[in-house]
This record gives sequence, structure tokens and C-alpha cells, in this order.
Amino acid sequence: MAENMSVVINVNGAGRAVSVEPRKTLADAIREDLGLTGTHLGCEHGVCGACTILLDGEVVRSCLMLAVQADGAEITTIEGIADGDDLHPMQSAFSEYHGLQCGFCTPGMILAGIDVVSRNPDPSPQEIREEMGGNICRCTGYQKIVESVQAAAAVMSAEGGSA
Amino acid sequence: MTTTQENRWIGVSAPRREDAPLIRGRGRYIADIEPAGTVHMAILRSPYAHARINGIDTAAAEALDGVHCVLTADDLEGIGDFPTIWRLPGQKECTTPAFAPGKARYVGEPVAAVVADSRYLAEDALDLLDVDYEILDHVVDVEAALADGAPVINEDMGDNTIIEYTFPGINALGVAGDIDGAFEEADEIVSGRFKVGRYSGVALETRGHVAEWDDLRQTLTLHSGSQVASLLRTELAAALGIPETSVRILTPNIGGAFGNQWDRYPEDILVSLASMKLGRPVKWIEDRREALQATVHGREQLQEWQLAASSDGTVLGLKGRVLSDQGAHLHSVGIGPAWVTGAAAVNQYKIANYHCDVVGVATNKTPNSTFRGFGGPEAMFGIERMMDKTARRLGIDPAELRRRNMIQADEFPYFSPGGAVYDSGNYPAALEKALEAVEYDKVREEQQSLRDQGVYRGIGISSYIHVSGFGPSAILGILDYYTGGYEGSTVKIDPHGRATLYTGMIPMGQGTETTLAQVAADHLEIDIANVRVVWGDTDQTPYTGFGSAGSRSNVAAVAVIKAIEEIKAKAVRIGAGLLEADPDDVAYADGRISVKGAEEMRSLSLADVAQQAYWAHKLPEGDQPTLEATYVYDPANFTTACGTHVAVVDVDIDTGKIDWVKYVVVDDAGTIINPLLVEGQIHGALSNGLGGAMLEEFVYDEESGQLLSSTLMDYLVPSFTDLPDFEIHHLVTPSPHTEGGFKGMGEAGCFPAAGALANAVTDALSHLGVEADQTPVTPSRLWSLIDQAGG
Ligand code: FES
Ligand code: FES
Repeated sequence: MAENMSVVINVNGAGRAVSVEPRKTLADAIREDLGLTGTHLGCEHGVCGACTILLDGEVVRSCLMLAVQADGAEITTIEGIADGDDLHPMQSAFSEYHGLQCGFCTPGMILAGIDVVSRNPDPSPQEIREEMGGNICRCTGYQKIVESVQAAAAVMSAEGGSA
Repeated sequence: MTTTQENRWIGVSAPRREDAPLIRGRGRYIADIEPAGTVHMAILRSPYAHARINGIDTAAAEALDGVHCVLTADDLEGIGDFPTIWRLPGQKECTTPAFAPGKARYVGEPVAAVVADSRYLAEDALDLLDVDYEILDHVVDVEAALADGAPVINEDMGDNTIIEYTFPGINALGVAGDIDGAFEEADEIVSGRFKVGRYSGVALETRGHVAEWDDLRQTLTLHSGSQVASLLRTELAAALGIPETSVRILTPNIGGAFGNQWDRYPEDILVSLASMKLGRPVKWIEDRREALQATVHGREQLQEWQLAASSDGTVLGLKGRVLSDQGAHLHSVGIGPAWVTGAAAVNQYKIANYHCDVVGVATNKTPNSTFRGFGGPEAMFGIERMMDKTARRLGIDPAELRRRNMIQADEFPYFSPGGAVYDSGNYPAALEKALEAVEYDKVREEQQSLRDQGVYRGIGISSYIHVSGFGPSAILGILDYYTGGYEGSTVKIDPHGRATLYTGMIPMGQGTETTLAQVAADHLEIDIANVRVVWGDTDQTPYTGFGSAGSRSNVAAVAVIKAIEEIKAKAVRIGAGLLEADPDDVAYADGRISVKGAEEMRSLSLADVAQQAYWAHKLPEGDQPTLEATYVYDPANFTTACGTHVAVVDVDIDTGKIDWVKYVVVDDAGTIINPLLVEGQIHGALSNGLGGAMLEEFVYDEESGQLLSSTLMDYLVPSFTDLPDFEIHHLVTPSPHTEGGFKGMGEAGCFPAAGALANAVTDALSHLGVEADQTPVTPSRLWSLIDQAGG
């Protein structure tokens, strides 16, 4: 087995160093080594989007990357989007519009929703459906997620479009 | 309704208390649980559909650094199988073993397990296990499995027929009818052959467990995503040969269950056994391939129906045969779903003469067992397709044909020849409301003109019943279903007057915690913020006879109401003593205990009375200290949710692609506790139903017996762009059988979905005579049908 490697990642605004096997996925490192279990694993082969995070501002599937590939990167996970006790508008909207049931897809959905709105501040329902097509939800039938993202978009643009 | 005040919470879209941690990434799912010292299990599964296991060489795996133990069938001495708890008369004996019993019977059946320091390492060790397989002939097609000379999957059964069951069978009311007479009298006999595809819940979270054996205390704590912790505790203790009092099941957040988590599985035993052997926590998390291969599948049936009709459209009789592809062996509920198909197939129609043979057949596939809908969606697909075929044959509009045959609102309770008693509903009203919402006449007109422009639009109507709230226990007994149908609830009022409610229900995303808090707050007439709901710990929560299902909260809600009635009665007795009044002159209202007519002057808060109940200085004779009650509610009868859905689609005849135009839902789920959550359940169940109608399928290769769809690349769950916006309307016919009038409805959306879609597609292609009789109606399947029809 290969030696562990040391990886430095900026996680939700704080620098963290971890020592991981080279074959360890970024998702497993986030969950096991960084202790951030809000990033979920639904397939581990890049289809479901439950493991979605933001890496250097882009949405990525953390199950498809190795932790060592994230050396030096900045990542945002679901745990890093609220401002202290103040929820991100996307979080509030998911709750208010019933955009979640079991909550397993939710961290990935919220991050994907933030990404959509950051690129398109006023997305139509159809645009949301197309842009979020890479995230699977098994519980909601999606309609209420679409409503949540639309509602959050309105709040976010009123707040000055911050994502 | 027994509340003395207006409902403040029942009927209100109260925000979900479940959400706060989940939107912050602070839910606690099974994979997030890792006690100190945890080691990890991985499971070796059969790569063959049917193979004798002549030996397993474990030496190399055991020698790998970091491996703690290897388990094989040799380690199962003294360990029992899980029983099939639905044991119909004539059903052959069949259980679920922890490891393949001498031979593997489906791709994915557990053969060995490794426990190591990490999951990565455990999987390395799996590669070092050397299994001597002797490959046997396999069969993955249900008709081939019944043919002479087919490979026999379970030798002790003699052949692959596990059970044949005939309806009307168990029918206390003897509504048998005269099926032969009906067919002799018929003007038209319409036939249909339907293949209901194999698919399943495929929750986004895979299964998993963490087992912690404490060898000093001799106790086993199992963290598990099971929907039915009570039954799991009972059956697991029996399988492991330890007292049930030693077993505690803790349930964390569940990332979707959809019925699949109702069953008991081999891994429940394996992870516990490994922890008992090693004396340390053992964790197993299923990966996605395992989830698709080894979590139970659902639905697959081959149905053949014949319908006898008179020329005016009256359905005189229905007879059929349902072959249920059970997979390699019966799982926890046996052929239960297929039995429900037989019981429900007459649907909303007055079909006096009925006959159906249900045959459970073994094949070399993953067991087919509990999945949201449980046989009902299969039944609705067959009968709703038959109604459309009959309408077309007779030249009667499909809406009109349904209208002419529906059970009328004044005919309840209705004793169906399937053996069920329908409690209530207004089927014609739901149909009319759905037709109105979809603007039926207008869509029919447009359909004509669009067709001239090359747009193939179809309208599909599908009505349904959903017999829910499984129980009463005595009826389950008559059905040879070896569990109870009751739910218990304990309510404790603390000395400050706040309530804690303990339920055996397990929230799986449907908002049970919020819903039950609403019921409790209304009936105690206190603020919902003062109600806490405790679930997910068999050491604290009441035993449940049946366990959680999307359609069980109606039963659980009644248990809550009944426990609260006892608490209120006791509060009145204690309060009367304190107020120095006759208990008959004292009433509980608005969270206070007051002398009637003197509410302003002589009144105590619930907290005042609770404090006294705990001090117990001055209790009425015969009353015990504290203020709590437990009620175990056994439902008086089943409840039936019902409704009509209408799908409108356009079919692209060059590609077989289906585009949504509209999907209208009219559901009647009795009294609704939380409209927003009910809407969410309807959407979710519809997405399960439409997924299986259009996309999702476990495909087996006949040649190799392999499961071809064992990644989410091949097994297609609906995405954002596959589903329409749903337009939902409600009718409310409260159930006369449950306090509060609640009916279970968490599954209802998946009942009519496939019928609505297939009827719409068939309607769109009526000029070609294409009939969508097999699900899923994938674009490629539809394209070949169009192609064969010369379109
Ligand atoms: S877990 Fe990464 S995409 Fe499914
Ligand atoms: S809320 Fe359960 S998977 Fe989306």
C-alpha cells in the first residue's frame, strides 16, 4: 500500500492539513478526515450529485476526485454556507418550500442551487430543471426543489446577488 | 374529531421540525455514525446467477494486515434464518439466510464477509477470497421458470412454483359471484397481457448498520435504517439466539426507505455476528452496486386478464392470472404484494364476478418484496389498461366507461370480491373533478386538430384505490400475516406541563415527527413548541406491530389521540380535587382544567395539574403519580384512500420520446394533517410511480443471468427533466373507521401513475394501434412498438 500523503485544503474558510492514502476520494476525506459528514454519498460513481461541493468556486462531485488532487484548493461544503446562525437564503427556501424530505440529497441540492443562481440570478423553472439535472432526489419529485431555488433566487438578488 | 376546540394545527402546513439539521448538513445518517474502535465490513457477493459453492479459501484474506475476521457459511452454526412472515396456505417453506445456503441463487447473494480496519482494506481483502463455484443452469424469466425441465432454484420445493393462491379466497363475506355465468352472458370479452417491470425504491441513501456488542453487559446495540425496528429486534434476537431484552435498535435519520427497509436482510445478522465475534463496533455501508443487487426489488409481474362486458359498457366479470416473479426466494413479506394485486384488481368498479390466480414463482434474481405501493400499483396498471381497452372495443369514451361502472358514494361500506371492505370515498366525484381540472372535453377536441398537424397527443385516465392502514390485527391473522397491525404511543406530560410523545413510527422523510406533534398539540390544546417527539430507540418507544410505512401515520396518529384522551381524563380528575369540584363539573379545554361555567375563576393550567401529579401529595383515590399514558391502537378496519389521475402527453413517433403536457391529480386521503407535507408525499410517490412507468428497470441478461442495470448509469431514476409539474386537487371524505378521519396516503401517488401514463401513450398512438402494455414504457421500447405498427 502506498504511503500516506499530506494534503492541505482550505475548507469553509479555514486551512486544514490531512494525511491520506493517495487512493482516498475527496468525499471520504471530507467525511472521515475533516469530519464534515454533511457531504453525502449516494452512488460514488458520479451520477447522483449527493456529494456535490464547491471547489475553487466550481461545483464538483467529491466522489469523483481524489483527496490528493484537492491539495491547495479552496472548498465549500454544506457546513460552510450559513453565516454563523444566519442561514443562506437557499437553505431557508428549501425548508420553507418543502424542498426536502429525507434530506439526503439536500446538501448537494443546496450547493447546486447556489451555483445555478450565481450564474443565472433569475432562472425560470425550466432552466432550473435543466441546470440541476445532475442532482438526483428520490423523495420530492423535484417540483418543490424548483420552487425553493426560484424563491431563493429572488431573495439572493434582492440581497445583492451574493452567492 | 373529538377536540373540544377548533384545530389549531391539524390541517395547517406547519413547518417541519426535521429540517433544521438537514439543511445545515447536520443530519445524522447511518454512515455518519462511527463509535470509537469501529472496524468495517465488506461483503463478497455471488457473481453468478446460480452456482454451487464447493469451498471458500479465506487464508490469504485472513493473512492481510488489518483484517480482523472473515465470515462464511461455516460461521453460521447456531444462527437462524429470517422467517417469511406472510405465510399463506399452501405456501412452501422459505426463509432468508445470512449467507447463500451451499449455493448462490442470484447475482448479489452474500457468500462471505470481511471485517478490517477500513472499508478500503476490507474491499482489498475481498479480492483475496477464493471461492470454488460450480456454475449451474439458471433461469431469469418467469414463464421459463415454470416450464418443464427448468433449473430448480430451491431443491426442497421440488419446482419453482412457491404458491398458487386463488381469489376469491379468504372472503369472510362469501362474495364469490358467478364468473362463468358472467363470461357466458358477455357481449364482448376483452383480453390483455401485461408485463409490469421490475424496479424498486432505490433510496438515495444505501442501507447500512453499525453493530455494537457489549460483552460485559451482553447487549447488542444496532444502529440501523430499518423502517420496522420492533420486528427487527424480535427477529434479530431469535436469529442470533440471544434474548430480545439484550437487543436495542437505534434509528438515525433515514435517507429514504420506500418500503425496501421494511424487510429483514442477511446483513442485519452478519454485522451483528461480526461485532459479537470481535467485541468491537462493526460498520457496514452498502455501496450502490450492492444496493441495486441486494436490496429487495419490487413489482415484477406478468398479468393476463379477461374482462366480460355487455355492449352498454357494464363490466360483468374479470378473471385473470398473475405470475409474480419472486426472485430466488421469498423475503420478509412473501408473496404479499402479489396477493394485494389479486385483492385490489377490481379497483373502484362494481365487478360482481371475479376470479384471479396468483402464482409466486422462483427465478434466479434478487428477491422481490416490499416496495412503496405493495402490489397496488401493479393491480391498478392491469385494471386501468383493461378499462381503456374495453372502452376502445365498445366505442365508449374511457371516462364514460369508468363512470358507468364505479361504486357510488352511497354504496359504502362496499364489500369487494377481492375480499377487501372499502370504507368510504366518492369515486365519481373524484373522476369528475379530475376531468374538469384537465379540461377533458377541450383536450379531446385539441387532440384531433393537433393530430392533423403531426402532434400525437394522448390522454390517460387512471383511477385507484389504496387500501391502507394495514390492520386490524385479527384480519392480519386471518390472512396468515404473522405480525400485528397496531401502533402504540406513549405521552408523558412533564411537571412543567410540556409533552413528550414516544412513537414506534420511524420518520423516513415524510415528516412524521412534525405531523404527530401537530396531532398532539391539537388534542392537548397546547402550543406545538411544547411537544417533543421521541422516535428511533426501541429501549424507549412502544413496540409497533407493523412498523413504519408511508401510509401508517394515520394509525399512529390515533394512538396519540387515544393516549392523550387518557391524560386529559386524569388531569380532570386531579384538577377536580384541587379545585374542590365534582369531576363531572370539570372539563379540559384550551390546555386548562376548569370548572364548567366558572372558567375565569376556577381554572388550572396543565402545568399546575402536572406539578401536582408529580408531587403526588393529593391524588384522587386510585390514580398513580405522574401524568402519562400509553395507548396501543389496533385499527378497527382498513382505510381506503382513492382518487383519479389524468396524464396528458405528446409522443414523438420518430423517437418514442414522451413529452409531458399536464398531469392532474385528484386524491381523497380523508382528513389531512399537514397539506404541504401531503403534497410532498404525493409528488414523491408519483415520481416513484412514473419512474417505473417510464424509465426504471432492473434488466437481467437471459444468457448470463447478470443484472445489467447495477449502476445509476444503467438504472435510470427520474431526473429533474423527466417529471412534469403536478397539479393537485383534494377531495376529503373522512374515514369513518379512524378517529380523526385520517387515511394513509404516503404511497397513493404511485398507484395510478403507470396506468395514466400507459393509457395516455396508447391513446396518443391509437391511429397505429400501439398498446403500451409493458412497463417501463422507455423511448426505445415505445419506438420499436411504433416501428412494428408501421408508424
Ligand atoms: S456520490 Fe458522488 S455523484 Fe453520487
Ligand atoms: S429529499 Fe430524499 S433524496 Fe431528496
